[in-house]
Amino acid sequence: MPMKGRFPIRRTLEYLQKGDIIYKNKVKIMTVNYNTHGELSEGARKFVFFNIPQIQYKNPWVQIMMFKNMTPSPFLKFYLDHGEQVLVDVEGKDYKEISQHVKKILGKSEEVLQAEAQAKMQASNPANFGPKKYFLRECICEVEGQVPCPGTTPLPKEMTGKYRAKMAASQE
Amino acid sequence: MFPVLGGGSVQAARLLALRCAVLVEAVRGRKSRTDPVAKSKEGRIKVPPPVDPAEMVVLKDRYSEYQLLTRALRLEFKEEVLRKKYEEETGSLAEERARQEAEEHRALMAWNNQENLRLLKLRIQRIRAEEEEAERRQQEAAVKREREQQEFIREREREILQLQEDAKNFITMENLDQRIQDALDNPKNYNFAVDREGRVVKQTTLR
Repeated sequence: MPMKGRFPIRRTLEYLQKGDIIYKNKVKIMTVNYNTHGELSEGARKFVFFNIPQIQYKNPWVQIMMFKNMTPSPFLKFYLDHGEQVLVDVEGKDYKEISQHVKKILGKSEEVLQAEAQAKMQASNPANFGPKKYFLRECICEVEGQVPCPGTTPLPKEMTGKYRAKMAASQE
Repeated sequence: MFPVLGGGSVQAARLLALRCAVLVEAVRGRKSRTDPVAKSKEGRIKVPPPVDPAEMVVLKDRYSEYQLLTRALRLEFKEEVLRKKYEEETGSLAEERARQEAEEHRALMAWNNQENLRLLKLRIQRIRAEEEEAERRQQEAAVKREREQQEFIREREREILQLQEDAKNFITMENLDQRIQDALDNPKNYNFAVDREGRVVKQTTLR
């Protein structure tokens, strides 16, 4: 099945995961006002076309709205919790500049992201066993090269408890 | 005997079960109240496993100590987790971090405002330039229109003068006869010849 649309690469997982704007927890709503025609809105149009899917993928809980041809000049507006609003003017800017700007003022920095990744790794130790929802494996029988689950294939007689008990009893 | 004991087996069982043990009631489990007791289990009296009193005393003591210890450990660990969470959210470090966050946020907002102001200035300049451009273009258009009008008037005047000039050569009723006479006296030959090189020869008749 061929890819659909003008730049179908925007729909690939790899592209979406490459997005590097992860907003701080404060940001709740993002609004983009831009125009469909005009040289000054070109950067904003490209930003909406290329970067918004990445941003939404990385921030699934942020509401993003696009408004077209409502104002003469393009801008971004962020609504943070506690009611604060941040206005970002993007008239005449390039889409790369816009994304850099937004990342600088409202994105999580590299150290914060790394610290969070570390914390997540520490919380989820691969050596722990338990429900599939929280851990990798439930039982050692799931690992390749280990004794298979006695529920599916019966153990050889020498490994069963009752045989061993019988042997121990007969030896005494 | 078995059919007799079918209905009032519980009371009879109570009398018979004098093993100094507490009688355990039958729990139906898989079966409902209307299902009959299984044939192999008809006369069965369930009693709990036997307990040695001396052993029990010692065991009780040890169990109570063990349970005390495990409960203490459990609560210790729970408290540690809760304390960590509390520290994380409302400890002194957290306050520091929150303050720093606020500071950084303020700084970034200030920087953003600066950017906005810069863009605002650029925009005002651009709009002013555009207005001036529009003004200039309008004036030019007005001048051009003026000039064109003048040109038009001049053109028309020239045409009128030309016509006046031509009027002198018109054929009127007075010089009709004269003109006819002139035309008959001077026959005009419109024929001409052209050769392959493009040379035009106006004089065709041998005169």
